[in-house]
Amino acid sequence: MRFIPEENITALLLRLSENATVWAPQVVRDTVNTVLFAPWREGAEIETGLYSALPVKGLVLPATERLFSFRYHRAGEREKIEIEVDELRERAAVFAARACDAKALVTLDALFLDGSGRSYNDQHYRARRGALTVITLACTSCDSACFCSSFEDGAAATAGSDLIFYPVSGGFLAEAVSATGRELAALDLFQESNLEKPPLAETAKVELARLGQRLLDKFDDIDFWRRTAEGCLSCGYCSYACPACHCFNIFDEMESDRAGGRYRCWDACMFYAYTLESSGHNPRPEAAHRYRNRLAHKFSYFPLNRGEFLCTGCGRCIRGCPAGRDVRDVIKALGAG
Amino acid sequence: MSTVPRKGIKATKPLVPEPATIIDVIVETPSIRSFRLVFDDPGIMKEFSFAPGQIGLMGIPGVGESTFAISSPPSRRDYIQFSVMKTGFVTSAIHELKAGDAVALRAPLGCGFPVDNWKGKNILIAGGGIGMAPLRSLLLYILDHRHQFGDISVFYGARTPADLCFVGDRAHWEEREDIAFIATIDSGQPGWDGRTGVLPRVMEAGRPPAENTVAVICGPPVMIGYALAALARLGFAEGQIFTTLERKMKCGIGLCGRCNVGSKYVCTDGPVFSLADLGNEI
Amino acid sequence: MEELIPIIKKALEQVDVVLGWAQSPAAGVAVPAFFHTPAEADAAVFDSTCAHNLAVYLPRLADKKVGIVAKGCDARSIAQLIAEGAVKRSGVFVIGASCPGMIDVKKAWRCFGFGKQVCDAAGKVAMEGKTVAREEILLWKCRGCRDPEPVICDVTVGEASSEAPAPPAEPAGIRKRFAAMTVAERRQFWQDQFSRCIRCYACREACPLCVCRDVCTIQAHEPGWAGAAVDSPQSWMAQLIRVNHLAGRCTGCEECERACPVGIPLMLLLEEQNDVVEELFGYRAGGEAKPPFLTFDIKNDTWDEER
Repeated sequence: MRFIPEENITALLLRLSENATVWAPQVVRDTVNTVLFAPWREGAEIETGLYSALPVKGLVLPATERLFSFRYHRAGEREKIEIEVDELRERAAVFAARACDAKALVTLDALFLDGSGRSYNDQHYRARRGALTVITLACTSCDSACFCSSFEDGAAATAGSDLIFYPVSGGFLAEAVSATGRELAALDLFQESNLEKPPLAETAKVELARLGQRLLDKFDDIDFWRRTAEGCLSCGYCSYACPACHCFNIFDEMESDRAGGRYRCWDACMFYAYTLESSGHNPRPEAAHRYRNRLAHKFSYFPLNRGEFLCTGCGRCIRGCPAGRDVRDVIKALGAG
Repeated sequence: MSTVPRKGIKATKPLVPEPATIIDVIVETPSIRSFRLVFDDPGIMKEFSFAPGQIGLMGIPGVGESTFAISSPPSRRDYIQFSVMKTGFVTSAIHELKAGDAVALRAPLGCGFPVDNWKGKNILIAGGGIGMAPLRSLLLYILDHRHQFGDISVFYGARTPADLCFVGDRAHWEEREDIAFIATIDSGQPGWDGRTGVLPRVMEAGRPPAENTVAVICGPPVMIGYALAALARLGFAEGQIFTTLERKMKCGIGLCGRCNVGSKYVCTDGPVFSLADLGNEI
Repeated sequence: MEELIPIIKKALEQVDVVLGWAQSPAAGVAVPAFFHTPAEADAAVFDSTCAHNLAVYLPRLADKKVGIVAKGCDARSIAQLIAEGAVKRSGVFVIGASCPGMIDVKKAWRCFGFGKQVCDAAGKVAMEGKTVAREEILLWKCRGCRDPEPVICDVTVGEASSEAPAPPAEPAGIRKRFAAMTVAERRQFWQDQFSRCIRCYACREACPLCVCRDVCTIQAHEPGWAGAAVDSPQSWMAQLIRVNHLAGRCTGCEECERACPVGIPLMLLLEEQNDVVEELFGYRAGGEAKPPFLTFDIKNDTWDEER
């Protein structure tokens, strides 16, 4: 397997920086260890021990992105609209992603890049995804919010990554997963090594057997959901922090009298306004309805429609919940598999 | 359920609408207007085809988009019609539009009525208020292919005579002898010599036979509830009853997440569902 | 604080639910808990990880009779909610808990890892060779606490703390740096801070006084004071609207800042505004004094959160 000495990492990141913005987890200035993926510049310290507050999905599905520009103009008696879609060109690389984040990119790919006709081949997503290189740092330790071992492969998941680094003495073993990864691993910054891969983290597990059905069995027990959701503040953090959540809103902004843009931005199913109709009717009026739908989407509907869970066990929704909610408690309360 | 190919949408730019121009505005009721529009690109207009029941997202760039059922029939090649009830921010802005104004359209989306499976069957159509919009498309389709179907009965209800849409159509439908068309208003009004009574009751009183019949209902949730109960009493099974659902939508392509009813998305799996598809999730 | 459990059980004789805290086994800290039955109340705890201001749940439970375990500062929020008519005094039973000073466990977790026991009785904060000054993860409001005694209370529990955390001698850390900034520097400072905002509205949802919630103007299509875009100017504008709506209403509980997942120092905005209100009107929200300006009809005691 290939190996990169620790002292070559900066050179690797500089090499990547030549034609891409390199995103790496860093502690945000002025905060007590709030970690976010941010553009890396030489000298910046990369934080690989702590967990980032947000996943890397923003690099393929930004919090806000312009879908197209529009302009009104007069053509004789008629008003006409001209629509122009910007081409995205910027390349990006992410360094020290976690396996749970990278794996979720594949889930998103299936939704936004599927060529089978079941989904749409999203132009903006495709441009960003195609221009993204993912270097994952495999987890050899975890915290008690992690539960990726519940899912297939757990911390050893390789899906979504181009290159995976395994921490070993003096540097990292590098396993190429894609052609891009192989190209990188062939660089002179790497060398051959016969070191063994380190043991990877074993996290807490949740019982996933028959989970979708267990959830549907409880679906009509609204009191159960009211009890489950009663501490939930109905904010959007768990959705935004989830590497697999992908719901969005669409809105227009006029930027001059006659021109503007249409945007797509993250939206969260825990917001009351998310399903509020203009008539005033809301099919999910209570936090309990919304919480139920959120979990059903992740663990019942999505598996039913797509054959996989909409969750990789990254634990962000647990670590960062302002009300201390733990999705694993709900899965437990749904009963044994 | 037949899956209708979503022809009008470019697979790579599903969220980018096509510019279109309004060619006519029909004031249907104080709160409902029908807008007839054509795509600016004649090639797209020529290629445009859909099934009755399919929807589109029509919008005014700078204001926003909303979802509407197409209310014109597929045989209508020179325009696409949407009937819009003024309820909120976007529909209020749409109501200000006049012929010659520009809109942007993403259509057709979703799955229409599985009309090919209904050949040889009797069709019972029951529409309340703005719910008649998709049913108008369906009815006109059926009339275009009249020989393919058995008996056709149509019930159209609204609160007052002024709330009944499609004046010209109604006169025509009432005259036709090969369909039974009944318009009803909720309670008696001076100058109204037609039927009175809420639609589910009028429909039930007509005692339409359930055998070999497909019932298609669309309207406000209260009406749907009573109509379903009436159909059950008339002996209709869940698989014989179809409806089109309405939910808040943003993307129209099953991604933005908000229009799901259980595991199904109204925008892509629907908006047409049979009651058997929905189970208790309605 | 063992005496808390019988008090909660007693309260359950006259209320539908008691809001308190229970230990989360995974997190290793206290998390908000809803006690409906005496058996459930056996899980109640109170320690220096009970930072959450449970008053946030009261307007959502306005149709119920609710018991609530409240720290001195939480009681100010309850008093303010009552003054505004969002909560009925007769609808709440306040269990005033004497408070040792609270740490922000999320900040602690960011130092040591989620789920680690980070706070010992002596106030030293250390884990696996890493240390962090307790002041850094202690809530700012707790240093020089102004409200050790609840302003509103039906029963108290625990001895008044003899060692209230010392007040800061002068602004420290980010406050010191911020105080020294010019207006232009502050502008840049906030632009940078809000470039991280993801508009998850945890600040709003965790705020006991943000009672509009589901019909909040910063998410409203009309009048559209703040755009929906997740970018620095729009997010900043949205937050400033929220902050301004809390003028004379914010009790300084710090929940917005604690809830913020990306660590935006929101209290810098609210502290500034609260100081101005106190200086101009001699008024602190959540006290017994009548508010100097009323943006709410306090005669209307049927506040409808869902409207």
